[in-house]
Amino acid sequence: MQLAFVQIANALALASLLTILASGLALIYGLRDVMNFGHGALYMLGAYIGYSAAAITNFWVALLVTPVAMAAIGFALEYLVFRPLHRRSPIDLALLTFGLSLIIGQAIVYIYGGTARTIDAPAALSGSIRLLGAPYPLYRLFLIVFGIGACLLLAACLRWTRSGMYIRAVSLHPDVARMMGVNTDRLSLLVVCLSTATAGAAGVLAGPYLSIDPGMGQAILISCLIIVVVGGVGSIGGAVAASVLYGFIQVVGSVVFPAAAVLAPYVLLIVVLMWRPQGLGGGRI
Amino acid sequence: MTSGELQSSALMRPASGITKAPGGRIRRGWPFAALLLIFVAGLFVPAVVHSPFYQGLANDGLILGMLALATGFLMSQCNLVMFGVVMFYGGPAYLFAIANTNFDWSTGADVFAACFGTLVGAAAIGAAFVRAKPLPFAMLTLAVSQMLRQAVVITDFRPVTGGEDGLVIDLRDSFLGLTQADLSTPSKFWVVVWIATALVLVVVWAVVHSRFGRILRGIRDNEERMRFSGIGTYWPRLAAFVLAAGIASLAGILHVLNSAFASPELLDFSLAGNVIASVLIGGSAGLLGPVAGGVAFTLGLDQFAASGHLQLFTGVALVGIIAALPNGVEGFVRAALKRMTGNRTTRPNTDDAHADP
Repeated sequence: MQLAFVQIANALALASLLTILASGLALIYGLRDVMNFGHGALYMLGAYIGYSAAAITNFWVALLVTPVAMAAIGFALEYLVFRPLHRRSPIDLALLTFGLSLIIGQAIVYIYGGTARTIDAPAALSGSIRLLGAPYPLYRLFLIVFGIGACLLLAACLRWTRSGMYIRAVSLHPDVARMMGVNTDRLSLLVVCLSTATAGAAGVLAGPYLSIDPGMGQAILISCLIIVVVGGVGSIGGAVAASVLYGFIQVVGSVVFPAAAVLAPYVLLIVVLMWRPQGLGGGRI
Repeated sequence: MTSGELQSSALMRPASGITKAPGGRIRRGWPFAALLLIFVAGLFVPAVVHSPFYQGLANDGLILGMLALATGFLMSQCNLVMFGVVMFYGGPAYLFAIANTNFDWSTGADVFAACFGTLVGAAAIGAAFVRAKPLPFAMLTLAVSQMLRQAVVITDFRPVTGGEDGLVIDLRDSFLGLTQADLSTPSKFWVVVWIATALVLVVVWAVVHSRFGRILRGIRDNEERMRFSGIGTYWPRLAAFVLAAGIASLAGILHVLNSAFASPELLDFSLAGNVIASVLIGGSAGLLGPVAGGVAFTLGLDQFAASGHLQLFTGVALVGIIAALPNGVEGFVRAALKRMTGNRTTRPNTDDAHADP
């Protein structure tokens, strides 16, 4: 029972990271029709920026500074890549972002080298507490709370703010929304910056939990792509549900069939697409 | 739709809109003789290029070119991009290695088993995936290739797949009259690769120019229209997918025969990046383009290998080509030639690629 509880908590901790990343991916896809294969690299870049910032100051400053820096990168991405090339096919843009991710990866290896690093958890969160009698790291609990909070915040923004309404409108019917006077370029700038900033925040959050290395982006990108497809491409609600499902499938897999647990997500993807090709979420947002 | 209409739409490339010039076809015999000459001359490349290093590089280039041809074929004929093409490259390499290490078969039987297994797998995967739209298709194939990549390094499968170490192959008998030592000698292996590449090119050329190829392009341009015309759209795409997988598996088996080693890196995502970059360099529409792209990319990769920036090269190539050259290097060269020679009508691309390699 205790073990099961700890496992569920672990699944949620992983899921909260994946949720943040997958919703960023789903947002850009909904608005720009771009499957951003560079999202993993942005997450890794965020982790390294956070690492440097945390080395100079502390974790909390890093968690604040990194999203700002990453939003600036999103700004550049929007103006230099997505806007000039918005008429290209989705496959072209997917390949382009994949190419960018390789370049970012090499740049990181060049600057930081290939060795794995970690960000120290802040002192307040470095201990562990007893959950149902079993000790559990406080930081992971923080991660779960942060992930859930971020999801709720995003959902609230999409639901109740004017920009959120526009984002939903453009994702649903880009042409109609544009005809109704929605400035999609400005909206896209907002969404891309938001997406890169959250990827950066996820990178910093991953620092004390997973190790930081140049391969971390590619490893998590595949998971995020699976989640976005399983959740229904472009659907944020679906992405959240799919990340939780993803976390649990991994946990259940490691209990039931530990040898091949890493294959469980792929099986999930294939089963979902056979059964419901449009994904769990169905619609676009 | 009349067959004439189908023919003209099939021969038209969607992006550049090059149409078949009336009466623009020159006599057939000429290019054929030239190609035969090039093929025969190619067999003697090792007599000219003496360095085993560059011979090996040329072999790797053609193998990458074959992979690029498989990907480019599916890209140009069906508008489907296999991000996970490496599953049909590393997959058969592993099947071959597993058959070789576990069973007491002849090398020919190992090759057959690897090919057959890959084709059956491709048919099963394709049956599920070819219905998907281009982007989900790309990601589904990527997911399967990543799944294989993860599966071969699982600790419990180690006795079969060798884990991270991969599998070393020890051929018991000669294959096509070549011993293992021969296959590992670049100059001798070149002949095998060169003939295999030529065969694959002929097969793809025949497919592209057959009724089947026209049906594929018809489906690519307008699936609904084809269905209204009473032509099934599912089986042709599946067949094209299996053909592409077959070509890739040939490349994989050639690689494993040459290197005598099946490693998890053969299933890496970044290798798929190399393949796609090769297709983009050469252009997917022609036949020789992807092969030339593979060779060019391998040579370029070698320049970067010394400094250890392999992935940087792939990344810069992808970004540079997509951002700067909307129609690929091939389209750029074509446009430049057009500008230089005035506004002459160009012949259909697939013929072009074969007529002047």
